[in-house]
Amino acid sequence: MSSTTEHSDFDYVLIWVWLVALLGAGTLAFLLPIGKGAALAVIFGIAMVKASLVVRDYMHLKSERLLIYVIAALPLILALGLALVLIPDIVYHR
Amino acid sequence: MSNSTLAAHTATFDTGSAASLPSGKAGVWWFLASEIMVFGGLIGTYILFRVAHGGWAEQASHVSWRLGATNTLVLVTSSLTMILALNASRTGRHQRAAHFLLLTVLLGLTFLGIKSIEYTREIREGFVPSSGMFWSFYYIMTGLHGLHITGGIIFNAILYFGATRGTLWSGGHGNRIEFAGLYWHFVDVVWIFLFPLLYLS
Repeated sequence: MSSTTEHSDFDYVLIWVWLVALLGAGTLAFLLPIGKGAALAVIFGIAMVKASLVVRDYMHLKSERLLIYVIAALPLILALGLALVLIPDIVYHR
Repeated sequence: MSNSTLAAHTATFDTGSAASLPSGKAGVWWFLASEIMVFGGLIGTYILFRVAHGGWAEQASHVSWRLGATNTLVLVTSSLTMILALNASRTGRHQRAAHFLLLTVLLGLTFLGIKSIEYTREIREGFVPSSGMFWSFYYIMTGLHGLHITGGIIFNAILYFGATRGTLWSGGHGNRIEFAGLYWHFVDVVWIFLFPLLYLS
């Protein structure tokens, strides 16, 4: 195992602080009297940022080889495709 | 551990490039890929059904966003302790790594405890899987996620006991913390999306 680390402990704690702050911001967006569409956009946008922080910095995806990106991206594409092909049956077919 | 020692203990997955990938890591990512399909399919289907059927907001209003937010904080913190355990193991601070593994296990148990409180409250109020489509999805998605948390807790506990006995650091098994961490962070990422889907929207 490599004796070098990608981040220091402080860096990981800093990322955690960001994650907690984003959690607070997302919850605040839910509570504030803003439009539903705007609230949903903010909430899920924040979720995407939080997920990318965990994947990029905790799972170290940013320093992984191309093969790992392919392995991770392929099921995302398939899951999105699954949702798209189900739209006619679920959303429009009553 | 030097790269030559690592190579002696770990089979490598030859990608055809000069830099090969430890097969254990590739295996974990392949497993996570299958999990992405499972949860991706569930989440995608939930979104489609929610768009297609009105009235879910009323059902969803009965879940406790406070407990959901607390559980999100617990899980995010457990991701921190998991990565700190890995960092400690990589720098030879084995006792520190063991402590952080234990913290991760305890936070995971806290998550399950809060989830149990939620389930108890909701069932007592009459909200069971057959109460409506939202509740069917809610119990399936959070239940499946809870099973994954349970599996992660068990594996992390095994690593913790191996760390305290010193067996984790011999025979090239130190990579196990990294592999367990990948799984644990993935479960955290799933919850990062489940929380707003089920509690905030």
